[in-house]
Amino acid sequence: MKYQIKEIKKGIKLHLIHNEKFKTNLISIFLTTELNRENVTKNAILPAILRRGSKNMPTQEAISTELEEMYGASFNCGIDKRGDNQVLKFYMESINDTFLPEGEENMLSHTMEKLLEIVFNPLIKDDGFCEEYMAQEKNNIKQVIEGKIDNKARYAIDRCTEEMYKGHPFELYKYGYVEDLEKIDRKELYEYYQNLLKTCKIDIFVSGIIEDNIYDVICKAKEIQELEDREPQYVRTNLEVIPQNHEQVIQESMDVTQGKLILGLNVKLDNEDMQYDALIYNNILGGSANSKLFQNVREKASLAYVASSSYLKAKNNIFINCGIEIENYEKALKIVKEQIEQMKQGDFTENDIEVAKKGMIDAIQTIDDEQDTEIMYFFGQEFCQNRLDIEQYIKRIEKVSKEAVLQIAQKVEIDTIYFLKN
Amino acid sequence: MQVIENLKVKEKLYIEKLENGLTVMIIPKKGMKKKYIIWGTNYGSNDSSFIVPGETEVTVVPDGVAHFLEHKMFEQENGRNSLDVLTEIGVSANAYTTNDHTAYLYECTEHFYEALDEFMDYVQHPYFTDENVEKEKGIIGQEIMMYDDYPDWKVYLNALQAMYHDFPIRLDTVGTIETISKIDKDILYKCYNTFYNPSNMAMVICGDFEPDSILQEIKKRLNNIKSNGEIKRIYPEEKEEIVKEKVTQNMEVSRPLYTIGIKDKPVDTCQGNSKEEIVKKHIAVEILLHLLMGESSNLYKTLYDKGTISASPSMDYEFSRGYAHILISGQSNNPEEVYQAFKKQLKEMKEKGINEKDFNRIRKTLYGDYIKEYNDVTDIARMFLADYFKGINSFDYIEQIMTVNVEYAQQILKEVFNENKMVLSIVSL
Repeated sequence: MKYQIKEIKKGIKLHLIHNEKFKTNLISIFLTTELNRENVTKNAILPAILRRGSKNMPTQEAISTELEEMYGASFNCGIDKRGDNQVLKFYMESINDTFLPEGEENMLSHTMEKLLEIVFNPLIKDDGFCEEYMAQEKNNIKQVIEGKIDNKARYAIDRCTEEMYKGHPFELYKYGYVEDLEKIDRKELYEYYQNLLKTCKIDIFVSGIIEDNIYDVICKAKEIQELEDREPQYVRTNLEVIPQNHEQVIQESMDVTQGKLILGLNVKLDNEDMQYDALIYNNILGGSANSKLFQNVREKASLAYVASSSYLKAKNNIFINCGIEIENYEKALKIVKEQIEQMKQGDFTENDIEVAKKGMIDAIQTIDDEQDTEIMYFFGQEFCQNRLDIEQYIKRIEKVSKEAVLQIAQKVEIDTIYFLKN
Repeated sequence: MQVIENLKVKEKLYIEKLENGLTVMIIPKKGMKKKYIIWGTNYGSNDSSFIVPGETEVTVVPDGVAHFLEHKMFEQENGRNSLDVLTEIGVSANAYTTNDHTAYLYECTEHFYEALDEFMDYVQHPYFTDENVEKEKGIIGQEIMMYDDYPDWKVYLNALQAMYHDFPIRLDTVGTIETISKIDKDILYKCYNTFYNPSNMAMVICGDFEPDSILQEIKKRLNNIKSNGEIKRIYPEEKEEIVKEKVTQNMEVSRPLYTIGIKDKPVDTCQGNSKEEIVKKHIAVEILLHLLMGESSNLYKTLYDKGTISASPSMDYEFSRGYAHILISGQSNNPEEVYQAFKKQLKEMKEKGINEKDFNRIRKTLYGDYIKEYNDVTDIARMFLADYFKGINSFDYIEQIMTVNVEYAQQILKEVFNENKMVLSIVSL
């Protein structure tokens, strides 16, 4: 694997990940912009509008037919929240020429052209997006927003996040708000889109067997030439903003068979480098089958099937997630709190650290085995003060000591306890 | 070892049937850091009635035993849990149960052989006690309840129940709180001894391996168990007809979920169908589904523009010993409308015939989809294992696809997409 970054224009980066071991080439375009209530819903609807049709492929059928001809090249788009940013994501994946039955087809350049066309050359009618598409996609986004309740476990984590970050950008739902949808007008949205393209951070990733000419293909593309240099408007990871809810308890009811218990924890770090120690802390607390939560909530007390925790690097929070019998709330909460307390007391061994490190390093080494995982890793580095490549990442994890984890444990506090019950 | 090479996707399969009956398959992937091993038994939730080799009486066990057994296999006599031991070694281990097989697996980059000791040891050494079996009932009870809150699981299961009268595919893999309460250690041992015989098992290894040396390492760690002869599986006679056309369940969902099912005749290898035919049929069904309701179809466009659906449904042909059916699943404000429109489209295609240009384009798409399955060692190993238990070599899909033509698809359209065998399952508020 070889990784190169080339600046195409100020604020527009091309990331090339040369890797010979895949059957496919994967291209991603990420547009990153600041998360705020005013624009969150507009950003959410944009990918949905763009995928409906471009200037030269004006309908969804036209796009689908084109992609089917390219041996089922697949297009995907979505919206993400990364710290206090919103990311508009576009992907296109196609088979590498080597595996095509009829040989040489120049599939990579072809795929790049199609993706650039969809993202940067939309179908415009009378100075705005197509009204028909607007109406349909508003309706679709509305359904996505209302669909929040369908996955109860995910919903519980989202609700816990909202309660933790009340009044901060991070409380916002990445798909936006129904009441804002109504107000979006097709011309205004097009204006917003044009402005977004002038100010957002743009990252283009290419992963696979990359031909040397791809840099030229991109630079010469009309869509790229039309973009200007910019001072990209986005937010880097910030260690300062911390929720201040001091163990607030929120309980809500819904039609569920199983209760979902979520604990949102703050991890108050002094510097970015401590994030790697926090990763090991989280792994010991609830990141694996050996973790304290899995062992004590599930295996010993037999209270849950799911009992785990995950560390959100972009905001320095840990979310603990347990699916339990509703009547076992007090029992489960007590055991969870005991585990956090034991971590503070240093009640974990050198062996626990070693096991956590091995598990983490194993996962890090496989980053390079999956194209989208690798792209997301390098994209994540864009938000850090200090970039680490995969080798350096492994070395840093190897360095984590028991003292360092114990230090993290002292910086962990419960912010919000959320329980979804019947 | 037998070597099968596929020149299109440029991969090789090394396959060997050992003396004790165990089949080992190795797919080397140069340059991949991840190593993956999966060991499966041809035994899933459908197999609750069978004759143990050497016996004459039929054994009937409660529903959910295969899955329960999977959970309990990790427990060891020395008081340790193999899942913990494997995690400590630094590998990521797991297991799963489907309706036709159960599999144990781990993946890692380092410590592969260290983990292999533990892995092969625990799968070959069950340790069940009254106490550890009782404890597991609490955990599995929570797993059952977790699935109760998944509307997509419910809509799927209800569709199967609308199609099947008696065949056990209609039951939940995990069983119910009631059936698992009847499980004890004797039942678990009996099922283990019957189905975890090497002759009923297969192992797939994928990663940067040298096939001969990994095969030796496997052989070294195998217990000396003899092949136990054929297990007679007893499945209830299943009628060709469906149970009922429509079924609705109420759950708290924002938007109705639907599954359209089409019941097909089982495609058993033992009953005269060659494996080429099964693969060809599977490919033809997939092409037809794309043509009927894929993203470039008229039906998709019409329903999308009206706002009836907002994404293409997932479309699958599921089959194994004793059953076969098509499932089309998605979300819609008006599942009934989707169902009727689908039927209408089907009728139209049957009358007008298949457009050859569209057919060729979709076949190209499917070719690409099959190639993409070879990117990830996990996907490759799981695919080879699941297909093996169906009597199929996964390469066959890539080999066969170009032999599937319009005429053949036309014939499958007539045979399989039968209006009288269709069901509609809905989950809504």
